[in-house]
Amino acid sequence: MSMEEALQTFFAESHELLQEMEDRLLAIPALAEEDRSETINAIFRAAHTIKGSAGLFGLDGIVEFTHVLESVLDKVRAGQLMMDADMVSLFLDCKDHVARLVELQESGATLSTDDQGKGNELVARLSVYLTDTPQAAVAPAGEASHPAPAHPTDSLALESLGGNVLDNDNWHISIEFGTDVLRNGMDPLSIFRYLGTMGHIVRVVSFFDRLPALSELDPESCYMSYVLNFHSEADKATIESAFEFVQEDCKINILPPHSRVADFVEAIKNLKQDDLRIGEMLVKSGTLTQRELDAVLAYQTAQEQGDSASQDPHKRPLGEMVVQAGIVQPEVVEAALHKQIQQKKAKSRQQQSIRVDAEKLDTLINLIGELVIAGAGVNIVAHRSGQTDMLEAASTLSRLVEEVRDSALNLRMVQIGETFNRFQRVVHDVAKDLGKEIELEITGGDTELDKTVVEKIGDPLTHLVRNSIDHGIEPADIRAARGKPAQGKVRLNAYHDSGSIIIEVQDDGGGLNRDKILAKAIEKGLVEPGIDLPDSEVYQLIFEAGFSTADKVSNISGRGVGMDVVRRNIEALRGNIEIDSQYMAGTTIRIRLPLTLAIIDGFQVKVGNAHYVIPLDMVIECVDLPEENINDGHDSNYFSLRGEVLPYMRLRESFEVTGETGKRESVVIVKYGNTRAGLVVDALLGEFQTVIKPLGKLFERLRGIGGSTILGTGEVALILDIPGLVQQMIRKSHHETSRASVKE
Amino acid sequence: MANKVIMVVDDSASLRQVVSIALKGAGYDVLEGCDGKDALSKLTGQKINLVISDVNMPNMDGISFVQELKKKPEYKFTPVIMLTTESGDDMKSKGQAAGVKAWVVKPFKPDQMISAVSKLIQP
Amino acid sequence: MTHGIPEAGPLQLSGEVNIFTAAAIREQLLARLETSPRLEIDLAEVSEIDTAGLQLLLAAKLTCQSKGGDLTLVHHSAPVLDVMDLCNLTHVFGDPVVISSN
Repeated sequence: MSMEEALQTFFAESHELLQEMEDRLLAIPALAEEDRSETINAIFRAAHTIKGSAGLFGLDGIVEFTHVLESVLDKVRAGQLMMDADMVSLFLDCKDHVARLVELQESGATLSTDDQGKGNELVARLSVYLTDTPQAAVAPAGEASHPAPAHPTDSLALESLGGNVLDNDNWHISIEFGTDVLRNGMDPLSIFRYLGTMGHIVRVVSFFDRLPALSELDPESCYMSYVLNFHSEADKATIESAFEFVQEDCKINILPPHSRVADFVEAIKNLKQDDLRIGEMLVKSGTLTQRELDAVLAYQTAQEQGDSASQDPHKRPLGEMVVQAGIVQPEVVEAALHKQIQQKKAKSRQQQSIRVDAEKLDTLINLIGELVIAGAGVNIVAHRSGQTDMLEAASTLSRLVEEVRDSALNLRMVQIGETFNRFQRVVHDVAKDLGKEIELEITGGDTELDKTVVEKIGDPLTHLVRNSIDHGIEPADIRAARGKPAQGKVRLNAYHDSGSIIIEVQDDGGGLNRDKILAKAIEKGLVEPGIDLPDSEVYQLIFEAGFSTADKVSNISGRGVGMDVVRRNIEALRGNIEIDSQYMAGTTIRIRLPLTLAIIDGFQVKVGNAHYVIPLDMVIECVDLPEENINDGHDSNYFSLRGEVLPYMRLRESFEVTGETGKRESVVIVKYGNTRAGLVVDALLGEFQTVIKPLGKLFERLRGIGGSTILGTGEVALILDIPGLVQQMIRKSHHETSRASVKE
Repeated sequence: MANKVIMVVDDSASLRQVVSIALKGAGYDVLEGCDGKDALSKLTGQKINLVISDVNMPNMDGISFVQELKKKPEYKFTPVIMLTTESGDDMKSKGQAAGVKAWVVKPFKPDQMISAVSKLIQP
Repeated sequence: MTHGIPEAGPLQLSGEVNIFTAAAIREQLLARLETSPRLEIDLAEVSEIDTAGLQLLLAAKLTCQSKGGDLTLVHHSAPVLDVMDLCNLTHVFGDPVVISSN
């Protein structure tokens, strides 16, 4: 006998059964209702038998269809549905369909769409009878179809047998067999042997404390209990399944080995789903089986009901129960509890955060800006009055205003991580377009910066990242020749650095080619030939309009538009860009941005009658202008500070301020990036908190001015654009140097 | 030593054949019955280690068969696996009363049957 | 009474010692215990033993001991050794067993 022969038997048998089904169906209308039961049962049985056998052969299509048919027939058999003429013809159609399915199987043909449609139609027609409200209920409704749920009894295995948990790395299974186990034909020894097929039974301890004297013994009852020490890689549910036929009347405890505890704890930590109860977590992690959970819950409910009667409202937590029952180690329950607390926290955090219209936030920041100015006004008045209590009050006010300002600004702070993460897609797409293999690494994603800055940084960053992939990272063959891994790497990084945020775009590509850039710059007339520029300045040239050294223009980059736009965008945010590059090794583009655009701590200076504000974090120190520079006019742009030569500029000249020159001039040393420079002013007025008011359209392009602010006295002060000024000075000094070198 | 013997009772010849093939492959001898009555007639006192029986069969259903079987001293404690359907809850309680504790839901695959059998007896 | 030797000679058990035969064997054991709390059982011919059989032997042993005697098992057959080993009961009975090489 082979499976093939058995299959032939199935075909023959199915045809017989289907023929019988048809005969019986046709006989139904002639039979009185009370005489039908035998016939209906035969029809049911035919469908049932075909389904069962088809399943054995793995003929799922036949199983699925006959299952629906069988379900309807089961209702007819149970008297919940009456078989009328319509139903008879439906069943006949179904019989034909089953026959068709069997024939198809026999001939090895596949189901046509027609057959499928027919099947679906029949299932739909059958399903009508399976809805909860039977159309023709003939049986009196009194017949309860479902038995009441099993009442929780004391048979629940909650006391660990023996009690001594064996201290080794095996499953610890304790079983107290029910009295009737042997009588029902079950032998504990067979179960142990079965367990032996999924692991190694290290030790069995037999307990016969329930065993009576021979004269009292019922030889067919079971009095034995066992504790097994079982070594197995199987999971708890699998081990429990060995006891499936005896578990109803046995007390079984399965305690996982200690080495599993770490796995369970890990599994619980990694549970993705929120809102899980402790029990569900334990089941999902494999610590507890569903059967154990159900049993414990039923026991808990029973206890609760008992407790309410005894006026003791104490409900034992599930975690405590399973530990005490010796089914779960305490560490695992602890992990689950911890996870639950975390979930609750996350949830409450979610509930505590509210969405606020950005406009409302802007209004608030604006108002706080006004408050800062008003506070400064109060300070001035207080100082003038010279009253101690007034000064004290003003100082308290200042401190509070400062705190309010910081908290308000904090509201606008967002992490840059989300912006960074969007680049995964950009990198993926660009790399695919260019046929390169690129990995994006993101670090410092939790660095916070002002929301408006984040919004505006996206475009420039996109351009830089594309540029890195296109120009920076070499094609795979060149990389291989240079001994680099085929997969290129682009890294986005962010961190805070003294009042600024630094965003880096790094690649491990070919680096910038200094000579090529210089040659191109000379060709474009951006640089005069023969001048020795430091690397950083050469690299800056790529940000000049219309500059591109790409030999080949791709549609990603290389048209020379973009890098200058990138620089403009960054500068509009009061930021700047630096480039570090090593030929053959890679490039790092570093963007430095202010943390916020709204408020700055400023340093107030005076030139003539005009007030200027320098962002405080850029001020390094203030010194007197050295004697030799005082009346040097235009001749020199440098002065010596403790031996270091620094460029400087007179604001009076730059902004063409009229009015009297002060008796002495002071120099404010500012630093931007790595460059230090001096600004010559008439008077130093000190630190000053200020709100940046954007300049009107008319003044937007004004060089050297970043914004304005209103002083406590009501006067307007201009906020200096230090990056702009520093660059202006550097360029000017280069110009001077080059002119000087030409002169020589 | 002689192989252990399993009696398979089902009205489907093909089911009996497949189960038989699987059981013989696992090292058992198999005796077949096509319904309760047929099975009883074939049980004439020889040793049977396990009975696998369908519930719904013509002539004599599985429940009656088990009840009759358990009346015979030589089969009183023979373990029985009963084949049932998902909807067979009431059958199950009747079977429980007759001492049937092992149920396998139809349709099943041959290896599922072997696994169920080996929880009760080993070849 | 010579010490250690049961009066009526060893009780020979053969064939199945299981749920089917447990009731009958219990009767035999009870009858033997009527006369003496010392009993020797020869298991050489036991072809099959299950939990019912094991707990019957255990109960008999405990009963003998409670009456100041003892139960001794001899000539364990392979099936008996197999289940005693599985349940780790050999030491409980405390009888010397011969582990055959096959």
